[in-house]
Amino acid sequence: MRGATQARKYRLQGAGLDLALPYLMLAPGLMIVLGVLVYPLWDGLRATTRAYRYGSPISDVGLQNYVRLWSDAQFLNSLWVTVKFVALSVSIEAVLGFALALFCLREFQGIRLLRTVLIIPMVVTPVVVAIVFRLIYASDAGMLTALSEAMGGGAVQILGNPVNAFIGLVVLDVWEWTPLMFLILLAGLQSLPHEPFEAARVDGAGAWRVFADLTFPMMRPVLAVAIVLRTIDAFGTFDQVFVLTRGGPGEATRLVSIYGYDTAFKFQQTGYAAALFVTIGLVVLALAFSAIRLLRRVDAS
Amino acid sequence: MMHSSRLTRRSVIKGGLGLALATTALTTLGLPMPARAAGKKVIIGAFADGGLTPFKQKIIPQAKEAGFDIEFLEDEYGVTLEKWFADAQSGAGQYDLYLLDDPWVPQFGAANVLEDLGAGGIDGSDKDWIGSMIDMGYWPPQKGPRVKGFESAKPTLICVPFVGDLQTLTYRNDVFTGGAPKTWDEVIAKGKEGVAAGKIKYPVVFRGVSGNPIVTSWYPIFLSFGGSFFDDKWNPIFNSAEGKASADFFVGTMKQNAPSGVVEFDSDQEGAAILGGDAGAIIQYSGNALKADDPAQTKVAGKLDFGVVPKQQSAIAQMGIFIAGVPKSAPNKANAIEFLRWYVSAETQAKLAEAGSIPVKRTAFGVAKPGNRLIPVALQQLDAGALPRPRTPDWAKVEELLGIELNKALQAGSGGGAALDNAAKQVKDYLTTAGYY
Repeated sequence: MRGATQARKYRLQGAGLDLALPYLMLAPGLMIVLGVLVYPLWDGLRATTRAYRYGSPISDVGLQNYVRLWSDAQFLNSLWVTVKFVALSVSIEAVLGFALALFCLREFQGIRLLRTVLIIPMVVTPVVVAIVFRLIYASDAGMLTALSEAMGGGAVQILGNPVNAFIGLVVLDVWEWTPLMFLILLAGLQSLPHEPFEAARVDGAGAWRVFADLTFPMMRPVLAVAIVLRTIDAFGTFDQVFVLTRGGPGEATRLVSIYGYDTAFKFQQTGYAAALFVTIGLVVLALAFSAIRLLRRVDAS
Repeated sequence: MMHSSRLTRRSVIKGGLGLALATTALTTLGLPMPARAAGKKVIIGAFADGGLTPFKQKIIPQAKEAGFDIEFLEDEYGVTLEKWFADAQSGAGQYDLYLLDDPWVPQFGAANVLEDLGAGGIDGSDKDWIGSMIDMGYWPPQKGPRVKGFESAKPTLICVPFVGDLQTLTYRNDVFTGGAPKTWDEVIAKGKEGVAAGKIKYPVVFRGVSGNPIVTSWYPIFLSFGGSFFDDKWNPIFNSAEGKASADFFVGTMKQNAPSGVVEFDSDQEGAAILGGDAGAIIQYSGNALKADDPAQTKVAGKLDFGVVPKQQSAIAQMGIFIAGVPKSAPNKANAIEFLRWYVSAETQAKLAEAGSIPVKRTAFGVAKPGNRLIPVALQQLDAGALPRPRTPDWAKVEELLGIELNKALQAGSGGGAALDNAAKQVKDYLTTAGYY
C-alpha cells in the first residue's frame, strides 16, 4: 500500500515537472530577451518623451522632442547627407556587385581564389578600413598626395573639401561593402535553374537578351533583399565616418548616426537623441517595407 | 554490443547542471589570481596626450615609491568625455580619478558626480596655486557668470589642477632671428622671408578641423584681438568687431600662409609640421613642445624656441589644463584623494617641474633645474595673460556650433565675420532652448 502511494507521488511529481520543464528551459532565454531587448527598447521610448539636463531627466515633454527634430537645421542636414550617402553607395554597390557576380559565375582557372580575394574587404574591421583610407586621403602625407607629387602635381585635397570628402566616404563604403552585394548575388545566380538558359541559347538568344529577359527578372527578389539589407546597414554607418572625417569638413559628411551620437553622449541631450534614433529607425523600417511591397507588386505583375 | 541510451528528463537536468557546474569551475580556475596589492590602488583615466608624458615616465614610478599602486588607463581624446561622464553618472566605478580637460569641469559639476575635494583635505585657498588654474576646479565658478540653477550655490572644489598646460608659441629661431615674434603681422612677414629663403615651407600651421580643434587654434587670436565670448548674461558677444577681425585674419591671412590642406589638420599634422621643419611658427600646448629638443622626434632639434603668443591688442593664450576629479563612484576614493594630496604637495610639484611637466603651483616654477625649456615660458605666458574657456556645462555644443561655421569659412578662405554672426545666432538659439535666459 505504502509502495503504491509512493509510486503515485513520484508519477504526480513527474507529471508536474513535465508540464513545467518547457517553461523552465525557456525562462533563461526569455529573461535575457526581456533584459537586453524589451526593457532597453521600452526605456529608450520612454526617454524620447523626456527633457534631460546635465544627463538627468528633468521633465516630461510628450512628443515635443519628435516635433523639434523637424525644425532642427542640423538634424535635417544630417538626414539629407545620410539619404544621399545611402542612395549613392548602395546603388554603386548593387551595380558593381551584380557585375562581379556575373563575371565570377563562370568557371575558369583561379576563379575560386578570385572569389575569395573579392570578399576580403568585407571582413576587415571598419575602423581599420577608415584608418587606411585616412592614410590614403590625407593631404599632407597621404598616398594620393605622394602619387600626385611624384607626377609633378600638388597636394590632393580630399578630406578638406566638402564634395571630395563626401565622395571619398562613398568610395570607402563601396570598397568595403560591394563584396557583400557580390556574395549574396553570386549565391542567387548559382541557385537559378539551368533549363531556361539552355533553352534560350538553343533559340539563339544573345548575352544581353538572356540577361534582360532571364537573369535580371529571375534575380530581382535576391537583388531586392540585398539592397534592403545594405540600405538598413548603410543608414547605421558610424565607425568609418567617426574615424575618417568626424562629420566634416563643416557638416559635409555628418550622417545622422554621428549627429545622434554627439547629441546623446557629447551634448547630453539624451531624450532628444533617443527621439532622433527612433525616428530614423521608423524611416528605415518604412523604407524596408516599401521595398518589399514594391517587389511583391512587381512579381505579381 | 552497442548500448542504446534514452534521452530522459532526468538526464537532461543532470547534464545541464553538470555543464553549468563545469563551466563555472573552469571559469573560476581560468581566472588569473589577483596580484598581491603593491600599494594603495588608484585607477587613473586619461586621454592620450604628450603633455602627460613626464607624469607617466617619471612621476608614476615615484608615486609607487610613495606607496601608491597606479593603474593608468588611456583613451583617445575624442571619446573620453562621453565615456567618463557615462561612468560617473551610471556609478559604474571604473575609475578613481579622471584627468579631465578643463572645459569639461562644468558638465561634471552640474551633474554632481564628483567628490568634494575640499572636504577631502585639499586646500583650494593655498596661495601657492596658480590662481586662474585653481579657479577652474570650482563648481559653480567663484567668478564670472553662472548658469541657471547654480546662481546661489556655494562653490565647491571638485577638481584640482594636474598639469598646468596652456598655449604658447613655438617658433623657428633661424627664421625669427630676433627672438619670438611680438605680433601676428611679424609672424606672417618674417615667416614669408623664411619661406623665400627655403628654410621653411609655411609661415604658420594650425588646426582647422571642425569643432574643438579649429576653435582651439582661433581662440588665442580672438583673445589677442581683444574679443570676449559671452557677456555676464550668457549672450554671445564673440561676433563683436574685434572678434570678426580675428576671424577674418584667421580664415584669410593665416590660411593663405598655411598648408593648402589645413582645413583637415588636427594636432598630429600641426605637430608634424613644426617638428618636421615645415612650419615657421605654431601656437600649441605642451604635448608636442616637449619633443622640441629630442632629435629622435624632430628634424629641427636646436632650431625651435618658445615664446608668449603674439599680440594684436594683448598677448593672451587659451588655458587648457589637465584637471583631476574623483568620481563619487570611485572604488578607491580615499586612495585617490590621498594621491592628489601627495601630488599637489610642494615636493611633488617640484619633482613634476624637474620631470619636464608644467606644474600647477607657483613655487615649482622656480626649481633650479626645470626639466623643460617650456616651463619658464609658460610662467611668462601666465603673467602676460591666459584665459580659460567659458565655464558652462554646454561648452561642447557651443564649441561644435562655432567650430562648424569657422571651418566652413576656412574652406572658403574668407567670411570669418559672417561665420561668427551665424554661429552667434545658433548659440543664442541653443542656449535659449536650454533655458539660459
